[in-house]
Amino acid sequence: MSREIAEPDTLPSRQKILMATAAALLTAAALLFGAILPAEYGIDPLGTGRVFGLLALGQSQPFAAEDGEYRTDRAELTLYPAEWVEYFYRLDEGSNMVFTWEATGPVTYNFHASPDGAPAGYAESFDAQDRDDGHGTYTAPFTGIHGWYWENIGNERITITLTTSGFYTTAEEGRARASGYKPLTDIRGNPVPNVP
Amino acid sequence: MPYTGGEVTLPRRIACALAVVALALVVSNRALLAHPMEGTNAGFVQSVDGPAPGPFLYLGAKHMVTGYDHLLFLVGVIFFLYRLRDVVLYVSLFTLGHSLTLLIGVLADVSVNAYVIDAIIGLSVVYKGFENINGFERLFHVKPNTRIAVLVFGLFHGLGLATKLQEFMVSENGLVANILSFNVGVEIGQILALLGVVAMLSYWRTRPSFLSYSFAANTALMVGGFLLASIQVVDYVLFS
Repeated sequence: MSREIAEPDTLPSRQKILMATAAALLTAAALLFGAILPAEYGIDPLGTGRVFGLLALGQSQPFAAEDGEYRTDRAELTLYPAEWVEYFYRLDEGSNMVFTWEATGPVTYNFHASPDGAPAGYAESFDAQDRDDGHGTYTAPFTGIHGWYWENIGNERITITLTTSGFYTTAEEGRARASGYKPLTDIRGNPVPNVP
Repeated sequence: MPYTGGEVTLPRRIACALAVVALALVVSNRALLAHPMEGTNAGFVQSVDGPAPGPFLYLGAKHMVTGYDHLLFLVGVIFFLYRLRDVVLYVSLFTLGHSLTLLIGVLADVSVNAYVIDAIIGLSVVYKGFENINGFERLFHVKPNTRIAVLVFGLFHGLGLATKLQEFMVSENGLVANILSFNVGVEIGQILALLGVVAMLSYWRTRPSFLSYSFAANTALMVGGFLLASIQVVDYVLFS
């Protein structure tokens, strides 16, 4: 290799070379574990991905490894006319759940979630429609309870079948947490009992 | 290595650190890393039946110009080559190596793990940077034959190129013509890349900062090489 003749004492010293190589290795490791793994792969071993918001980038990637236990559940809920029910699961931020549900009659439905530590009654809604089925994937934007509200808007008793798969756990406070009846009135405005 | 043992003052340290970080950020941009051809190009290659020299020439050039692992290795190789005939010699050795394995690799359908090969290519960048700062002489008391090293690493770079091309069901019809076109494209891309690198290095060598910063620049090459190799290892662990 052609180079200018170098004086031996101006060549870098052993120590300098060792330090430079070590520094190069450490810099690469820091960048890899601190930034590239969270942003590109959704893996966050140092927690820096969460701190700098890089984990959000990593989770929009096609592949996202998850730690939790995988489960599949099926639930059947019965609703009388004007009866409503809420049904939740507990998900950690970034966890995924695939769901499909079908109702045997028309319902008003709403998918919403409450983060842990939020004031009572606080919820964010992600979908709300009048429909009789729903299918999709949900990635929890925060840790808390996430789930469905259904209200029977028809005249007959209906059954809703919900099948879910994913990385969630039972929400003790959310499993069929609440149900109730919207008050029905007859044509003159007098209350009418819901349940025959 | 020609080296002025000057004082490393604070502005120089900051500049060194910035250069290292900048290089690392560039290298870590996944769009620029060596990885399989994606998107519309991939679809084209799979749908081609018969000789298509124009498109494959373009693809070869594009792959070289956007292949930062190949480019960084070239930067390392010609970093201290001052004479044009040395540049031609070493680049020819590299070209011979990568052409051999590109052609043989695809034609003989050689089966190697792309992640392993790309990791080795990343380590070739580390090797070059380490050699440029005299690491082998000082730390291991050996003087590796640079020409043979460039040729051997060229073989690995060519295998990496071959695995990219193999990932598609490249039709048998017109295979040889297309691979030759791809290879010619790679060389054209290499020439284009070299024009830029040689121009940059030639200018830089006229400035006094070249000798002072060449150590830092080659350290930055090592950072880049380590990043390239480690990302391939991560991909290997996750996807193989």
